[in-house]
Amino acid sequence: MNRVAMLRRMRLIRTFEGALAARRDHGFQLLSAGEEAVAVGLCAALAAEDQLLTGGRSIGFALARGLPPGPVMAELLGRVDGPNQGRAGRGHLSWPAYGFFGAHAVVAGNMSVAAGVALARRLREAAGMVVCVFGDGACGAGALHETLNIAALWRLPVLFVCNNNQFAVSTRPEATLAGRAGDLAGAYGIFARRVDGMDVDAVAAACAALAARVRDGGGPVFLECASARFLAHSTAARETRMADELRETRARCPIAALQAALLRDGEVSESALATLEAEVAAEVAAAIAFAEASPFPSPEEALADAE
Amino acid sequence: MPNEKIFYREGIARALHEAMAADERVFVMGQDVGAFGGAYREFDGLHAAFGPERVRDMPVAEAAMVGIGLGAAAAGMRPVVSVTYMDFLMLALDPLVNYGAKLRFKTAGKLTAPLVVITTAGAKGQGVAHSQCIEAWLMGVPGLKVVAPATPDDAYGLMRAALAADGPVVYVAHKKLFPMAGACGAGDVPMGAANIIRAGRDVTITAHSYMTRIALAAADNLSVEGISCEIVDIRSLRPLDVGLVAASVARTGALVTLEEGQLACGVGGEIAARVREALGPLPVQRIGARAAPVSSNPVLERACIPDAARVAAETRRFILNDATSRWRAG
Amino acid sequence: MIYKLDVPELSEDAGEVRVLEWHGEVGDAFEAGAMIVELETHKAIVEIRAGQPAVLRKIAVGAGEWCVSGAPLGLCSDSADEELPADEAGVGALLARFEIA
Repeated sequence: MNRVAMLRRMRLIRTFEGALAARRDHGFQLLSAGEEAVAVGLCAALAAEDQLLTGGRSIGFALARGLPPGPVMAELLGRVDGPNQGRAGRGHLSWPAYGFFGAHAVVAGNMSVAAGVALARRLREAAGMVVCVFGDGACGAGALHETLNIAALWRLPVLFVCNNNQFAVSTRPEATLAGRAGDLAGAYGIFARRVDGMDVDAVAAACAALAARVRDGGGPVFLECASARFLAHSTAARETRMADELRETRARCPIAALQAALLRDGEVSESALATLEAEVAAEVAAAIAFAEASPFPSPEEALADAE
Repeated sequence: MPNEKIFYREGIARALHEAMAADERVFVMGQDVGAFGGAYREFDGLHAAFGPERVRDMPVAEAAMVGIGLGAAAAGMRPVVSVTYMDFLMLALDPLVNYGAKLRFKTAGKLTAPLVVITTAGAKGQGVAHSQCIEAWLMGVPGLKVVAPATPDDAYGLMRAALAADGPVVYVAHKKLFPMAGACGAGDVPMGAANIIRAGRDVTITAHSYMTRIALAAADNLSVEGISCEIVDIRSLRPLDVGLVAASVARTGALVTLEEGQLACGVGGEIAARVREALGPLPVQRIGARAAPVSSNPVLERACIPDAARVAAETRRFILNDATSRWRAG
Repeated sequence: MIYKLDVPELSEDAGEVRVLEWHGEVGDAFEAGAMIVELETHKAIVEIRAGQPAVLRKIAVGAGEWCVSGAPLGLCSDSADEELPADEAGVGALLARFEIA
């Protein structure tokens, strides 16, 4: 993905989520505003045969991974033309054919699953690494520590990405983590790096370097991305930050930063940016139209594939 | 060799060996499963035959172990995970129930996790946290299958069936069944199929796992008094073969359920409810462990766990009491 | 003198026992300390070694067959030509050691 493509992807996420949140029927959503650079920078380093697993804040990563926006919107709105026929929604969205093995809404719940997918790859001598994204809130969970230990022991091809947006709902990492997220992996001898999650170029470069290590058989690696959450934890959660802090946080917009850099570097013109914005808006409008045209499942679907 | 007499553990090992020889995707993970061959030697010979890549010793980390098994299964392998004590399956309930059992549903069939979790259950002098039979807790999980073979033949047949399933299966082996030897056939035992292990006329006793041995002993006692017991080994807890049990109760007119686990929300309560749905109201006697933790102290353990004398006494009392007799006469 | 060789009294939960291998045939002589037969419980291999020199005279349970604790495994004698009794009751036990391998 070149830088303009990364900008387009980040804009798509922001615009898509904005359109989603503006609806009355959006259900319960966790949005990625402010964290788009983590999703897009990471996915810029992924190959078609890699598999990505996330926690519940999945929309940005799904779109960054290249899932078509129409079916994603349909899934989020509970329609049958979503990849999971409307049953998964945001919390469990899954489309392995696109390299998006799936979201799992249990905090740290996808960690060991990701390690298992990586083990399967190793045993079958199949290409492709596995990437597991989780938040700072997952860093105290036993599942994370158990999985890092085994991944290191067995040299599993996993890139562990901690998207540290400085909040687990209302609680900051200083209150929940003794030490820093990026240091956790060192206890298991896992190579770790920390990167500015608001700088998509930095994230892309870090992910590319770490991915190369994993693909070379170097075993698992751990990347902590320091990012910032622009909105409340979820569409149902209360915002806990004061106005000043919110203002400061939102001033560090990764999209604005990349846009400014592209303009400054002469890689894009104002009119090209305007065109890009219009195209993204049209893409989102088409996604909404696609979703709205898709029906809800019938009640009998509640029992399909249940056993 | 079909119909050869083997140990219970050999039924398990044989099914695993055959599956691993036939299908490279099958592999085993757990504590002490490799060179040690498993706490009960249930994995004997596998490490020597298939090597450490396919028979993997793991740290004590049940949640991660089951999660890794599920991820590997979802990604195309057919793993078997050994959770040595069923008591510690509790640690793995999040991945097993929240991911494994729901995967096929939540992805609308794009992914499924064919994982076998083999675990040992039951009281055998090992104390309050190493004695439990909690299979009833799993019976209410859509997307999960639960089986409990009581003989070497069923140990073999149900392991074959579990390995061929397309979703997660919990395979429960009672500690006290490992010393058992018996003939082993060559066939599959389908999940969801109960088995009449003793034909009788006066009462149907349902049991599973080690309690089938207790039920048979109780039936021997009762036959001396002229009470003829039909014993149904349910073998499969989810799916449950209500049809066979109901047909038996329709013949005998009375139902006693026996389990080593707790009665509250237990296997017997579920069987009773479902048989009543099939046949209408009928008297049921549930027999199970006393509502207490099971100590390693032999006096206390014996006081808690049903034995043949208690089962015979409670069955006799139930058969002969007024309510049961009235219902049967009516 | 004739001696009986029985399955040793193993642990309470040993259950049924499989005869794995006889380390000799009827007519063979065993020195003290030599392994006569190996048994298998569900948990372990049990090695039965002669505690005295003896000749194996009868095998009651062959390799691959099943028995239980205390059951008759075979008969031994001091010398090969002693006549075996018609009734085995009253025959004393062979001095033997068993070891869980």
